[in-house]
Formats: sequence, C-alpha cells, structure tokens
Amino acid sequence: MVSILVHAAEQGLAYGIAALGVFLTYRVLKFPDLTVDGSFVTGAAVASLLLIRTGIDPFSVLLIAFAAGAGAGLVTGLLNTKLGITNLLAGVLTMIMLYSINLRIMGRPNLSLLRASTATRIVSAAWSPLGSLAVLAFMLVLTLIIKFGLDYFLRTELGFALRATGDSERMITAQGVNVNTMKLLGLALSNGLVALSGALVAQYSGFADVGMGIGTIVTGLAAVIIGGTLIRSNRVGWMTSSVLVGSMIYRAAVSLALRYGYVIGFEASDLKLITSLLVIVALVVPYLRERRSKKVLACSH
Amino acid sequence: MKRLSVGLIVGLIVGMLALSVGASTLKIGICKIVEHPALDAVEQGTIDALTAAGYERDVDVEYLLASAQGDFAVAISIAQNFLAQGVDLVVAIATPTAQAALEVFRGSGIPIIYAAVTDPVGAELILSAIDPSGNENVTGVSDMIPVAAHLRLLKDLSPDITRIGMIYNPGEANSVTLTNMAIAAAPGLGLTIVTATADTTANVQMAAQSLIGRVDAMYVTTDNTVVSAIDSVLAASLEAGVPFLMADPTSIAHATLAAGFNYYDHGLTTGALVSQVLGGTSPNEIPMALQERAEVYLNLDLAASIGLEFSQAVIDQATSILYGGTAFNK
Repeated sequence: MVSILVHAAEQGLAYGIAALGVFLTYRVLKFPDLTVDGSFVTGAAVASLLLIRTGIDPFSVLLIAFAAGAGAGLVTGLLNTKLGITNLLAGVLTMIMLYSINLRIMGRPNLSLLRASTATRIVSAAWSPLGSLAVLAFMLVLTLIIKFGLDYFLRTELGFALRATGDSERMITAQGVNVNTMKLLGLALSNGLVALSGALVAQYSGFADVGMGIGTIVTGLAAVIIGGTLIRSNRVGWMTSSVLVGSMIYRAAVSLALRYGYVIGFEASDLKLITSLLVIVALVVPYLRERRSKKVLACSH
Repeated sequence: MKRLSVGLIVGLIVGMLALSVGASTLKIGICKIVEHPALDAVEQGTIDALTAAGYERDVDVEYLLASAQGDFAVAISIAQNFLAQGVDLVVAIATPTAQAALEVFRGSGIPIIYAAVTDPVGAELILSAIDPSGNENVTGVSDMIPVAAHLRLLKDLSPDITRIGMIYNPGEANSVTLTNMAIAAAPGLGLTIVTATADTTANVQMAAQSLIGRVDAMYVTTDNTVVSAIDSVLAASLEAGVPFLMADPTSIAHATLAAGFNYYDHGLTTGALVSQVLGGTSPNEIPMALQERAEVYLNLDLAASIGLEFSQAVIDQATSILYGGTAFNK
C-alpha cells in the first residue's frame, strides 16, 4: 500500500511539472494550448537521443529538453501572434507538426533507455541510504525547485504582466505591455516545462515512445482542476502547489484503480472508468461538505 | 454524518490493508499495452498453456491481469503495482509494456517473459537474440514475421504483381522494423514497396485509399493501429481489385489471404516458456524463441469478388480455406 502511494507520488510529481506548464497557459495566460501533447514527446525524444548518443549528463539533458520545448511553444506563439491563427488551432497545428519532427529526432518510434545512464538510476545509486524513497526524494527536490522558481517568476514585474495578459489584454496593452510578447513568453515557458517533464518521465520509464505524449493536455488539465477544486486560493504559491497535489491525486487514483479495482469485480478493461469514479469521489467530498456548510448557514437564522 | 464518513474512511483503509496481505500461492502478472484481439489471444494462450502444464487457475496460481489501455504512464504503474504485490513472474505482452516491466523490475531477480515483441534486441530488452547468458532475468517470444516469405507468397499469386502497397503506423516500432525489412527484401524478389502511413485508426482508410491504382497488392503486418481498422483496408483493396495479404491469420474473414501465425499459438508458446522458468530453468539459459509454424489462410470468397483465382501451388500451401463462409481446414 505504501509503495503504491510512493510510486503515485513519484509519477505525480514528474507529470506534475507538465501540469504546471498546462497551468501556466490554461489558467494564467488563458490560452488553451494543445501543443503539449507534442512538446512532451519532444522533450523525451531530445533527452533520449542525447543520453544514448552523447555523454551529456542526465541533468543537463533536462535543461536542453526545456529549451527544445520552449522552441515548440514559440512556434505556436508565432502562428497565433504573427499569422493570426486562433489559439486552439495554432496549438493543434504545432502538435501535429511535432509528431513528424519527434519521429525524425528519435529516428525510430521507440528509443530504449534501459541500458543508458538515466537520472533516476544515478540518483538511486547516489542516495542509496534512502532506499526506495531515493527517487521520490529526487522528484520532490526537482519539482520544488521548479515550483518555487515559477512562483518567484510569477511575482516579478514580468510575471505580473503575464498574469495580467491572461486577465485582460486590453487593460495590459493600455499599461504599455506588448501582449504578443507576453503570449510568446508564456507559451515558451509552459512548453519548456512540459518538455522537461517529458525528458524526466522518459528517464523514469526507461524508454521514449512517440506515442507517450497522447493525453498530456487531459492529464494536465485534470491535475490543474482537481488541485484547484481541493485547494481554492488566488495566491500563486498555493495555486502551483495545488497543481502538484492534483497531479499526485490523479496518479494515486490510477494506481488504486489498478490495485483494487478487481476486488469490486471490475476487469482490466475498466481501468479508466474506475479512475474517473475515484476522481469524482475525490472532488465530490469537499463539494458536498461545502454545500452542507452553506445549508447550515442558511438555516441558522 | 461526520461519524459515518470517518467510519467509512477507516473501514476503507482497514479493508485495503487487509487486502494488501496476499496469499502465498504463485502470483503471475500478465500485462498488455492495449486491448486487441491478437494481444488478448496471447494472454489467453499463455493462461491455457499454464493450466495444461498443471498450474490451475486460482488454485496453484493467481493471475493479475492488466491492460495499459494505450497509456504509457499506466504501463509503468502496472509494473510498479506488480512489484508491490510481490509477483513471482511477469508476462509482458508488447514492447512498451515489456520495457516498462524491465525498468521497474531491474535488479529484483524476478523473471520477465515478453511476448508479441517483434524486435526485442532493438527494444533493448535483451542483449542478444542468440546468446541468452547476458540477459539477466529476461527471455521471451518474438513475433517477428518472415516478411520475405510473405512477399514471395504475394508474388506467387500472379506474375502481374510487382508493386506492393504497405499501410503502417510509423509510430509503432514493430511496424517500422517490418516495413524496412520488406523494403530491403523487395528488390531481390523483383518487387517494389509503396508505403502509406496512418498514425491513428481514423487515418487508415485514407492511407489505404491513397494506394488505389498505384499498387498490385496490399500488405499489412502486425500493426496494432491498422489492424484495428482492417475493414477499411479490405474495402480499399476490393475497390482497387487487388489481393490483400494480412499477417494475422485470425483476420482471414477480413482479407483475401492471410499468412503468419495464430496469436493464440503465440500465447501457448509463451505459456510453455513460463512453465519452463517456473520449473527452475533460469531465463538467461533460454534464448529468444521465434514463433514457428507459419500458416497460410485463403479467403476464396473475397478472391472471387476481385476475380482472383489461386493457383494450385498456393492452395497446396494453405492450412485453411474460407469458402462460402465456412472454413475448411487441412
């Protein structure tokens, strides 16, 4: 049971970085960005290629993946700002392009990292006193660095300008900020994070596959919304934390569904149904509690 | 109300902890990347072979069955789950699930048997197909298709067949390997390969239709994406009036002819391998198994509809013939 939660937390944090990217575009910039299904794999592809072909260490590889993802984000941004293509379509177009580009980068649809020296393997060996918690500790450290970095950025003048762009483009233009530049910045930063997450997940999984990005926008949004429902706050620090928590809860739901679904008589094919039911339960409990407390307030006069 | 919800939570936790304490029967985890007739058949074949070998289900052995439903993150979670539940052996069906299992079970010493993996060396599941000694705790069965033999079969159908159309998903490693093998083997047989790609099942129809008028025959290997939309390819081949070869005999009703092996048999081979390992043989003493017993199935009904008559030489090769809706087996 404990190891299920540990693994769910590991995956939750690794994918949580991508969820932070989705949070940045979807919630902060209010730009629904579908590029992420492609940029996630771009990060994984770049990281895998570098790990196999060159001697670059697994941690620098994460940064290079970030840069690659940022590039992908810029493409979407340019399609939207310079060519006037609507945001959803721009994201979809880039995602479709990335499918072919990712295949080119990898050279084949599936790259194995089973014999490569990945970050998770290095950490497991280096922090061996922590045993099976070593990887979780690493994920926690990495994610917290990124989270606090993001929080800090969103509280700078530039970060505020980004947030304001999401709230009202007209207002921020009146303040003298270039909306297009903000969009490019937001998309680059977001997809950079998603690509970094992809690079991390590829190393964690032991392989990169061109299909591993499918559903990134869905799981990212699930994390953002689950987290946002459970931890309601307008403060940046709490919002980013809620995204990470949401991601971990989603992964825990999948793991629990896998582990205990059969007990209720479900079959292997019912996994996605059980996962969704568990997420609904996780969301309904606080909702019902809030409704009940409102009723109590209403009745108490 | 509050006491009830607290009670529920406590009961749930106690229940889950109780369930965590597993029984001491043999536990085998069988995972596949997606639900699919061929992969499902492998799973069933494995279980049946083990039952026949004396491992009765729920008596001697408990099976943990799981499907990643096309989600790679879930494939990892499944492997982690198996590890947490203390399985004694893992059967991983298809490449991504096998890779996930290998990564998670690294250093645990628990045997991993892969099945339905076309290129285990390319996927780095094993170091060598011939010499198993360096493969640690991994061995398995490859579903590598004798592509050259299939091309030869198509060529035997008629001397007019020179251009072979192949529809495949460039996102599936197995398909890419097989298609490249076909492209390499074709010139030696006097054939050319014309490819059409489909990255999702929805695009298979368009890819198949793009080949109409450009090819003399269509050929589909064990590509999960294309096989899921097999009828689109069949429709295109009928419209073009060309024969369609499927590398999965279980789909003979959907193709003019089919060659390859039965995935259920593949499962039986896998089960036999598992039984060998359970009996004490170490996986690094068992080299990768190749599926033998290639069979040829002919669909006379569909052949007649495009005006194709199979020569006696081809009919002699057949294991089964579909005629008038009924299958006649040799």
